[in-house]
Amino acid sequence: MLVEGECEAPGLMDIDELIRPHALEERIYRHRCVEAWSIVVPWVGFPLADLLRRFKPTSKAKHVAFYTLLDKQKMPETERGVLDFPYREGLRIDEAMHALAFVSVGLYGKVLPNQNGAPLRLTVPWKYGFKSIKSIVRIRFVEQMPPTTWNQLAPQEYGFYANVNPEVDHPRWSQKRERRLGELFKRETLMFNGYPEVASLYTRMDLRIDF
Amino acid sequence: MSATFKLWIWRLAAWALGVIPLAFAIKWTITSRLGPNPVEFLEHYTGDWTLRLLLVMLAMTPLRRLTGWTEPIRVRRALGLWAYAYLCLHFSIYLVFDLEFSLFQLSEDLIRRTYVTPGFSAWLMLLPLAITSTNCWQRRLKRRWKTLHKLIYPAAIFGSIHYLWLVKADTRTPLSYFAILLALLAFRLPWAELRRNQPRQSIVASREG
Repeated sequence: MLVEGECEAPGLMDIDELIRPHALEERIYRHRCVEAWSIVVPWVGFPLADLLRRFKPTSKAKHVAFYTLLDKQKMPETERGVLDFPYREGLRIDEAMHALAFVSVGLYGKVLPNQNGAPLRLTVPWKYGFKSIKSIVRIRFVEQMPPTTWNQLAPQEYGFYANVNPEVDHPRWSQKRERRLGELFKRETLMFNGYPEVASLYTRMDLRIDF
Repeated sequence: MSATFKLWIWRLAAWALGVIPLAFAIKWTITSRLGPNPVEFLEHYTGDWTLRLLLVMLAMTPLRRLTGWTEPIRVRRALGLWAYAYLCLHFSIYLVFDLEFSLFQLSEDLIRRTYVTPGFSAWLMLLPLAITSTNCWQRRLKRRWKTLHKLIYPAAIFGSIHYLWLVKADTRTPLSYFAILLALLAFRLPWAELRRNQPRQSIVASREG
């Protein structure tokens, strides 16, 4: 993992070094995909803020950019040109430092399997699933809002913020309801995926514009 | 091989194309092997088979012209009705499990969800074709039957657009369906007549080129 950019203590470290200082905890979060399905997952990990503070971000660090591993041998599908890889995501610094923003290294009490983003991924439960970037190998503190993969592909469909919001539909489908995996019928989608404690991050924003 | 036996083989193949995917869907439903999102799986599965059967059906006229066989034309109706059966299943699953029969939500989807509109239109266009598919209706409508059944072409185009518009990013499969459809439709254009109208120009053009 390489941590760099607007911070006083950048670093390059292996996964054990990265995880060791943190006490692991379990958090049961709702996960809502932008394609209107959802699941409840018991994650194992630690707060993102605790990880980020170790690198002492400066006052210029207004955003955090995350990058996924790009290993063309192990990930042959990345060669197909559907998305521009490596996958990139980003958060505003206050979002990244929010107590609910989480780094997962496991789920269901086990080490994270590859398909769920091993060895380490974000879990940002109030945002659509694509914001919770998997298999992170690089973190960069930046001043400007960083480019993000889905937003670059279709900016009119996937915003930078991508907060779960039943009032703002995807241009091609409704976000009012979702199908919880294991249930036959759809249920109502909740504002911020049912995490109202993050609302204070967005009080001065029009979430229809900054979707 | 006798002509009746040959036709019988063709009919069997057409019915197999309709029955086998449905049998698998039923088997997977009973044995809970539809994956983590069974409703979505069945929606996509029935939608896929609707388009596949429509494409196979639309390939019958070109096949007849290229080979001179008559059997393809005689299984066209069975293929078309099977395609419509899958489409009705597709639409029913959406109506029941996504909309829970809410007409309000259906109207909202029709107005605001761009991919629902062509899909629903295709279902609507094919409805009269399914109803008038019997020999009785064919006789009753006479020449107008053939005109009416040309609705299959816009319906197939709408169905393909429906698929293309709903995928998130990976458009390879819907685009390949669309390409096959365009090729099958292009085959029906009156190429011979188009050539006859401008033979000299093309010769001149090729010489100058």
